[in-house]
Amino acid sequence: MKKSRSALTASIAILLIIALTLAGCSSNSGNNEPAASGGAASVPASESASAPAESEGVQDATITLATNADPNFNPWSPTGFVESEPITELLFDGLTAWGTDYQPIPALATDWTPSDDGLTWTINLRTDVKWSDGEPFTADDVVYTFNEIVLKKDLAAANSSNFVAVDKVVAVSPSQVQFVLKQAWSSLPNYLAWFAKILPKHIFEGQDPWNLTSFNKEKPVGTGSYVLTKYMAGQYVELERNPNYFGGTGDVAKVVFNIVPDINSQVAQLMSGSLSMITVEDPNLMDNLKSNPNLTVNEVSDNNYYWVALDQSQPRFQDVKLRQALLYAIDRESIIKGVLKGYGKVATGPINPMMEKFYNPNVQTYAYDPEKAKSLLEEAGYKLNSDGIMEKDGEPLEIDMPAGQYGTLVQASQLVQQYWQKIGVKVNLQVIDWNSYVQRVVSNRDYDATLCWWRAPVDPDILAYYHSNSAGTGNNIPGYKNPALDKLLEDGRKAKTEEERVKVYNDVQTMTAEELPYLYLWNPTIAVATQKNLIVPKTTFIVAEDHITEWKVLK
Amino acid sequence: MSRYLVVRVSQGLLTLLLVSILTFFLINLAPGGPSAIMNFQSTAEQREALTKQLGLDKPVVQRYAEWLGGAVQGDLGNSLDSKQPVGELLAERFPNTVILSAATLIFTLMIGIPLGVLAAVKRGSWIDRLITFMSTFGMAIPEFWLGILLIIFFAVIHPILPISGMMTAGSDFSLVDLIKHLALPMFTLSILMLPNIVRFTRSAMVDVISLDYVRTAKAKGLGAYRVFFQHALRNALVPIAAIVGLIVPILLGGSVVVENVFGWPGMGRLAVQAATNRDYTVVMGVTILVGAIVIVTNILTDLIYTVLDPRIRYE
Repeated sequence: MKKSRSALTASIAILLIIALTLAGCSSNSGNNEPAASGGAASVPASESASAPAESEGVQDATITLATNADPNFNPWSPTGFVESEPITELLFDGLTAWGTDYQPIPALATDWTPSDDGLTWTINLRTDVKWSDGEPFTADDVVYTFNEIVLKKDLAAANSSNFVAVDKVVAVSPSQVQFVLKQAWSSLPNYLAWFAKILPKHIFEGQDPWNLTSFNKEKPVGTGSYVLTKYMAGQYVELERNPNYFGGTGDVAKVVFNIVPDINSQVAQLMSGSLSMITVEDPNLMDNLKSNPNLTVNEVSDNNYYWVALDQSQPRFQDVKLRQALLYAIDRESIIKGVLKGYGKVATGPINPMMEKFYNPNVQTYAYDPEKAKSLLEEAGYKLNSDGIMEKDGEPLEIDMPAGQYGTLVQASQLVQQYWQKIGVKVNLQVIDWNSYVQRVVSNRDYDATLCWWRAPVDPDILAYYHSNSAGTGNNIPGYKNPALDKLLEDGRKAKTEEERVKVYNDVQTMTAEELPYLYLWNPTIAVATQKNLIVPKTTFIVAEDHITEWKVLK
Repeated sequence: MSRYLVVRVSQGLLTLLLVSILTFFLINLAPGGPSAIMNFQSTAEQREALTKQLGLDKPVVQRYAEWLGGAVQGDLGNSLDSKQPVGELLAERFPNTVILSAATLIFTLMIGIPLGVLAAVKRGSWIDRLITFMSTFGMAIPEFWLGILLIIFFAVIHPILPISGMMTAGSDFSLVDLIKHLALPMFTLSILMLPNIVRFTRSAMVDVISLDYVRTAKAKGLGAYRVFFQHALRNALVPIAAIVGLIVPILLGGSVVVENVFGWPGMGRLAVQAATNRDYTVVMGVTILVGAIVIVTNILTDLIYTVLDPRIRYE
């Protein structure tokens, strides 16, 4: 009797331990995002604003949002990432902002016009804006922000590489500035809405902008809809409505950002009601949130696409047949179903379908077809060798593929590895932490193939990611060089009318689909989850923040 | 005695120096770099400018010499990330970790010592086996998982405790609020600590209660409570004090995970963030501070022996 009882105890114990271990593992898999990402931030999406329900709102409501680390209040600081952007979006204004249709709308600027040659943009500014310390906002602040911070190469401000086409900014009058460009750039107003906030000259003049911790970490001075009232390091950031804000007021009087590093804790806080709203990019969490009756989950597109880059400084990857073969070999639908739980769509090129006017669906597509992949490889001169590996001139097709530990990158890379191995390509997958990954892939360009993503303003201008000039050193990660594409991209920047732009970018998409500078994988769907009583425009978090005065907090 | 102290303290300082050399070269030579530079969108031009700004273009030996020069004068440098002085960041976070660790230690000792004594006294019984089983269980549970489970139970399903942070955002300090926020992280960390205390107390007590004087005390007709808690435990405390010294590093290590799960604004979180962002100066600051704490705790533990057992003398 005694023996059987202890055997029972032992088996229960073993079962419990197994259950605990398994649960521990699965809990870990959803929790591997680094505290601060190396990439850029949340971005505009496609659906238009949902009409807020006409219902009695709560005036002077407090809402609680989350961020994953201590912020830097300087929007241009090279150490400010996703943890800072949702906060600086409310503290500062750009010259333009995003409309809920992702077109630039007036913010500090009232209107903007390009010169005939496209080399100068004249921008009129509001005259009724005050900094939160009471000083008036003028053209000098815009000139200072750009000439002394953004365009100063030694400072390497975050996102400053977006403005390489800008030569300088000139104040014409206290309420008018001119952007003088090196080359024509039709997308300037869109890029001015993209985290390009204006800083107060009277605070920064004569200071090192990154070392000014009294501003960057303690007391920022902005023109935005909210002002900082309290910051407890590691705990929370409290903002209150800016009484002098030029854009009117809404229901929300106070916004508290809880600093919660762990996404699982963020989700738990949302479910318990202590957070008002979070962005969810992890497809594993979405169904859970959608089934919660207290939450509204808005699925939104993000101007974001995932890709595989093949290092085109190597002659073997310069063969378009090889690139096409490698894309035919990947079952993207299955990756979307398996890794993304269906939250994504197959990408056809660099321009997201959410840009309805510019998106060109009539391009070459690459439905999963391993046989076609093999025959293309054979056309490119590859043959299966005795080990079952494709080989050309005695060189086996072997690919080193580093994968960064971030979101779904590792899982998707593993599937790509399997698909390629099926057609006789040997893939050496190396999983490394995000920071080391960026060093290896971006800084050292030491890889054969790698899977990652780009996020950019909702605008078809993709020059920075594709132009030969940025191969090797800039955002052209695969190092693709094609004078014909360069010309098209430059034409796109010069185009004066929307009609012209549509034509140019249609051609760009035809070319990128045939040439495959990157192997296009998918456009993800992300979700913004809010409590039922909080009504926000149906867009991404950051764009919704630009419209915070329209948010409704129901009783 | 004072000579002993001088030797121990100089050994401690030497250890710290070695730790600092090892850590500095390890983190600087490891792959990756400060997050400002290792930004996926940065261009070669930006990376070069930032490397220069952060002084990382200088040879690593020269950078260590500069760091050490500052450190001996009490200047741990500035964070590469926030540019705030590392000393200030540590001063901000250290007290929070002390609150969490001290509360956990007291709670664990209050629960763990009686359980250990009970297990020893009832050696071989089902109570003993249950206690031993629970300790093994506690040792096997990953603390991040237990933390999330407790959050789901006490904060989502039965919302009686706050999930994250040290105080309710926006409110003034109150002790009740602090205790509420402390409850879940402290309990999680205690589960991690408890096995060490229980098992050690049990074995120390088992050794002691088989000694003659305990039998004598029992024979005199003293109550069980007086025998075990006033006579036996007193002598078992010496090894228990030793284990307290040894678990301080485990406590600080465990707080790294627990602070992240519960958003506790302590040094553990600072360390994780600094490591993720390759904020070299902050990593150095945290390492040196934690190293110093471990060394001081060890010296203090040795000194406490002499108080608990006057027969122990250091010459």
